[in-house]
Amino acid sequence: MKRFLLSLFVGLSCVTTPVLAQNGPLRIEITDGVIEPMPFAVPNLVPATPGDVQIGADLARVISADLSGTGLFREVPSSAYISGINDFNAPVQYADWKAVNAQALVTGSVSTSGDTLTVQFRLYDVFSNAELGNGLQFTGSVQGWRRMAHKVADAVYSRITGEGGYFDSRVTFVSESGPKDQRAKRLAIMDYDGANVQYLTDSSSIVLAPRFSPNGDRVLYTSYETGAPRIYVLDVGQVQRRVLEQKEGTMSFAPRFAPNGHTVVFSLTEGGNTDIYTMEIASGEIVRRTTAPSIETAPSYSPDGSQIVFESDRSGTQQLYVMPAAGGEATRISFGQGRYGTPVWSPRGDMIAFTKQSKGRFHIGVMRTDGSEERLLTASFLDEGPTWAPNGRVIMFARETQGAQGRSGLYSVDISGRNLKPIPTPDGASDPAWSPLQD
Amino acid sequence: MQTGTKISGAGHVAVILFALFAGSFDSEPLPFDVANVSVVTEEEYAALTAPQQAEQQGAEPQPAEPVEPVVEPEPEPEPQPEPEPVAEPEPAPEVSPEPPVVPDPPAPEVAEESQPEPEQPEVIAEPEPTPEVVAPPPIERVAPEVVEAPPEDTRPDEVEQNEVVQDDGAETAQEVQEATAPEAATDRIEPETAPQANLAPSQSRRPPTQRPAPRPEQPVETAETRPEPEPAPVETPPADPTPAPIDTTDAVNDALAQALGGASETAPAPSGPPLSAGEKEALRVAVSRCWNVGSLSSAALATTVVVTVSMAQDGTPDVGTIRMASSSGGDNNSARQAFEAARRAIIRCGASGFDLPVDKYAQWREIEMTFNPERMRIR
Repeated sequence: MKRFLLSLFVGLSCVTTPVLAQNGPLRIEITDGVIEPMPFAVPNLVPATPGDVQIGADLARVISADLSGTGLFREVPSSAYISGINDFNAPVQYADWKAVNAQALVTGSVSTSGDTLTVQFRLYDVFSNAELGNGLQFTGSVQGWRRMAHKVADAVYSRITGEGGYFDSRVTFVSESGPKDQRAKRLAIMDYDGANVQYLTDSSSIVLAPRFSPNGDRVLYTSYETGAPRIYVLDVGQVQRRVLEQKEGTMSFAPRFAPNGHTVVFSLTEGGNTDIYTMEIASGEIVRRTTAPSIETAPSYSPDGSQIVFESDRSGTQQLYVMPAAGGEATRISFGQGRYGTPVWSPRGDMIAFTKQSKGRFHIGVMRTDGSEERLLTASFLDEGPTWAPNGRVIMFARETQGAQGRSGLYSVDISGRNLKPIPTPDGASDPAWSPLQD
Repeated sequence: MQTGTKISGAGHVAVILFALFAGSFDSEPLPFDVANVSVVTEEEYAALTAPQQAEQQGAEPQPAEPVEPVVEPEPEPEPQPEPEPVAEPEPAPEVSPEPPVVPDPPAPEVAEESQPEPEQPEVIAEPEPTPEVVAPPPIERVAPEVVEAPPEDTRPDEVEQNEVVQDDGAETAQEVQEATAPEAATDRIEPETAPQANLAPSQSRRPPTQRPAPRPEQPVETAETRPEPEPAPVETPPADPTPAPIDTTDAVNDALAQALGGASETAPAPSGPPLSAGEKEALRVAVSRCWNVGSLSSAALATTVVVTVSMAQDGTPDVGTIRMASSSGGDNNSARQAFEAARRAIIRCGASGFDLPVDKYAQWREIEMTFNPERMRIR
């Protein structure tokens, strides 16, 4: 009994001692926070002349739309502003912006001289009463004012989140029109937000799977112009194309550039068997990378070019595999229920996006490169063809609605599964491919 | 069979031992309560209260107002401190039971902490105007009651300056000295008077441990006396006040050293009771409400940052003192993003002041917050 009492006393002493012996600062640990958009304000950019007022307002509108579209930020409406920004170099009245709960403030000025547009901006952390980073200035053409706005938004996004932006980027896709049984398809390109749509081909033949080159200057795609699928490479700036070398009696499709920009990996069907090949664009040299009797297709390089992920039915069902870029033994990385396809390696190199068909539903999902931590981000009648944003945080894909009059459109979603939203296109759209950030 | 027998035997033995030991423990505590409470306190208080009542109301009977004396004893202790450097040693032992509050007196370093001391000095400083004979009389007041003679009750009135002095003076000027005679009786009373002086200032004023509290109590003269206490020592009382606080602080420090395992005098922050778990939780929740990690990169979400901040007494953070003490799990860029999110949380939700107990300000003057986003990543 004495032992019991003694141990009890010692135990209580141990419990109470730390409380009484608090030395130094008070210490607490915060593990639970909130996940909500950060309020920000982007007043109209201060115009250098009265003639710049409209473009200053347009720039602010695009910057705001870029940031709000990420789902990570929420714009404070201009009607709530207590004070405006009339002088780009004047001290910021932090109290006024705190009062409207604007945690970030973007101020800017705009001036035009002939066809030259100059934009300056500063970013402020309102509650810290300090500027976040240094002010920046961009100069370009007046016609390219939207790009200027995207660049400002990229800089703001990067400074706040610590990640690269993706607003100054473009998306190529297959524009679709007409009913499903008579659907006309043509290659198109647009800004990431659906603006400035341009058509690269006519609708005389079926086109599929456009893919940007690493620097965004070329696009690979598959066309049935000759009746059989063939791979073309298109110069985006010149809108000129040429067909890649191909063996007689074979079908080539699902092309994708290697990170070096000189090599193309694609699928080639010969004698009823589909395997993965690579081709040196300059020389036309083709090398076979897989030799299995099953169907191997949809290859995608890792960012460092050392590995290729692809889909194969060698196990009896369509699954994902990873193999060395030079070929060799492939490792299966998908083991869930259903069928996996169209894998795409993340620009960061840490994840792989894919399409999954399970129980009559299609999903866009992501997993680690070893197949772990699989997460399904979407679910619908038909979701397919994921493509990564340049910063590896957002995925765009095609979603088709059910029925004969079903329409295909583009959507984007954060890799967390949040912020699923449609991308506006003039017509139906499918097979999106995201470009890298523009220079 | 043997196993069952053993288990049964062990069970019975355990029950018997428990019954024996349980009974023995219950019997001891009883005697303690009975002896102390009944004997000492009541008589002494009665003796103390009677003279005090007499002072206020003159010839009124003692039993009528036993409780009131508690209020009056305050003026009495005031005169005592000066005349009695001897009486001061007494307060020290009494102060010990209240070490937590007294430790503040480390005031010598910080002005704020000196407040608790002034409480004692208050009693000491006031006597200055009444250095005449005020000090001894309070002792006499107690003594007469011990004798329990009603006429003696009038003497205490004499002790209080005006009325008594005039009467005595009318009879014989030297009889006043007779009033000093009762001082002999004060020897017995000293222990009683000491407790009075200590009880009033120590218990009632310690908890506040803050300057504003004691001043309002004696608005007129005390406010002056507190600034005065220091100059006062220059003249005469210096010897008295100085030794008294020194003794008490030593006693308190000793008590703290024993209780806290050697708390240093140079650590004013740890003084006072620590924040309760509930108070800490309230602060944690308050910061969490503004810790928005929605805009952080995945790399920043894998970064834990430790942030330090100095707080104002009104619970608002000093923005200029927010610093990142350390980080783990990410590179510098990620750490910077994580720190900025943490800083925004502290500033935003602390703008109107965190709900923290003012009387424990020393405990949360400096706060170290660890922002660990591990659970947020999972979400």
